[in-house]
Amino acid sequence: VRAALKGLGVTGVLVFTLFPVHLMIVTALNGEANAGSRTLWPDEWTLANFAYVVGDGGFGRYLANSLVVALCTVLAGALLALLAAVAVSRFRFRFRTSVLVMVLVIQMVPVEALVIPLFIQARSLQMLDTLAGLTVVYLAFSLPFAIWTLRGFVAAVPVELEEAAYLDGASWGRMFRSVLLPLVAPGLVATSVFSFIVAWNEFIFALTFMSDEQNYTVAVGLRRFFGQHATDWGAVMAASTLITIPVMVFFVIAQKRLTDGLVAGAVKG
Amino acid sequence: MTVAERTRRDDAVRPAPGPRRRRAGAGRPWLLLAPGLLVMGGLLLYPLVRVLVLSLQDFGLRELVSGRTDWVGLDNYVQLLGDADLWTTVLPNTILFAVVAVALTVVFGTLVALLLVRLSPVVRGVVTTAIMVAWAMPAVTGTYVWVFAFAPGDGVVVQGLDALGLVDAATANPFAGRASFFAVAALNVVHHGFPFVALTVLAGLLTIPRELTEAAIVDGAGAWRRFRSVTFPMLRPVFAVVTVLSTIWDFKVFTQIYLMPGGDGVNRGVLTLGTWSYVESFAQNRYGLGAAIAVLLTALLLVVTVAYLRLLFREDEL
Repeated sequence: VRAALKGLGVTGVLVFTLFPVHLMIVTALNGEANAGSRTLWPDEWTLANFAYVVGDGGFGRYLANSLVVALCTVLAGALLALLAAVAVSRFRFRFRTSVLVMVLVIQMVPVEALVIPLFIQARSLQMLDTLAGLTVVYLAFSLPFAIWTLRGFVAAVPVELEEAAYLDGASWGRMFRSVLLPLVAPGLVATSVFSFIVAWNEFIFALTFMSDEQNYTVAVGLRRFFGQHATDWGAVMAASTLITIPVMVFFVIAQKRLTDGLVAGAVKG
Repeated sequence: MTVAERTRRDDAVRPAPGPRRRRAGAGRPWLLLAPGLLVMGGLLLYPLVRVLVLSLQDFGLRELVSGRTDWVGLDNYVQLLGDADLWTTVLPNTILFAVVAVALTVVFGTLVALLLVRLSPVVRGVVTTAIMVAWAMPAVTGTYVWVFAFAPGDGVVVQGLDALGLVDAATANPFAGRASFFAVAALNVVHHGFPFVALTVLAGLLTIPRELTEAAIVDGAGAWRRFRSVTFPMLRPVFAVVTVLSTIWDFKVFTQIYLMPGGDGVNRGVLTLGTWSYVESFAQNRYGLGAAIAVLLTALLLVVTVAYLRLLFREDEL
């Protein structure tokens, strides 16, 4: 009975987790999806939807935009978060706790509250409709979580290792480069994955800031395939697959480190 | 916490000044923090102040173009709190949805974690990978897939429920009714949110010494009793963290609601504080009122966060 229950549980979880992905991919490959076919196993398989999306659909442009924004967010975010994480986990200073509480509290600020003032701000700074404007916003969004997670990793590096580096005559910068950085690399991978996902998936700011189709990111570019009267579901799902697959591969590859990172972040508080 | 533990912890917080600490100037931590604090201050904290200021203004298209300010005091709040929709539709939608979604996410995530810990490494690896796949599904594409699956008439889920005799596919429209609309949204949010809970709780479960569980079994404790008396107390901080984060995430769900049919303000019965604020601002160009709604949402979240922070502070010394 125990084994049967386990088997049932495993099957249930697998079906629930994989159902949307399955539906998305088979619809993208369904030759009759645009003709209204909705099924879990199509009769006619095709790559035409993908060809249309990347070609006439102009989705390649949006993929490139998203990639630029996400990579810039990841690089800048990793650097700033690492510096901040070292500060809060390696130094005791006044207002340290206040800074930590702020980092935690700020994560609860709803994007709906930020989008109004930032839209007005970006408008007056002529930053609307630019990828740079979007990148800066995403950087701010990904920082609190990155700092919070990285701080666990930095704290896990024994202080003795740093002391040893100083005894060997290393400066603080040298110690940072040669001791701390390699040891927190797994943490950096975890936070980078998160920052990437934040930037790649973000919708509300991309929707509000970008009016020129040339500057659309993937999340808003997808809306192009929704017609006034009928939706081109084959194209929507093909584009969705193109957005989702890289993130999934990324996730599954980084799986081990990602979960380790969460543990360090969550279990240690 | 025992006295001995408390003393040890205090020592950890205030260690004797070592050579490293003397070398490091008092300004260094601030130097390291400066870039991050600047970005967060300029793009998260300052806008929060701005939105508060905006909520006291009549800010429409004219003000947006001219840059003039038109102070109206608390008029926006008076209008907001006097709106019957707020009390009968928007607030109940927001709060009920968040509570149900958090409860389902945490309970389901915990159950999955308890299942995972009992699996052989190979099967666990397979299931974990599937969970990662669900987690990686972006909110935008995930929402479109669920909308597609629940499409009235011929969506695969609607067809399946019709085959089971639960609904009539010819007439059922899951997006029209309030309850069914939010049921689909909750399914979407739980699917997206439970992986974090499951994997974090699993990591916590793996740290519980096997002897403890075995001792409980020897003492004749059943599965539920073991969870309540051993697992849950040991993992309290973990549960606190996953519940805080899930609450914060589910209260401000926007994309998953906005992208559903009618969720963008067309169907006023399914507005939440988040979508209402956005629609007032960007569809109606009433930024002042939208800001007031956003302030209300933020205040609500702040209350939740502070309550949880107190809980966390007892667990941890930060």
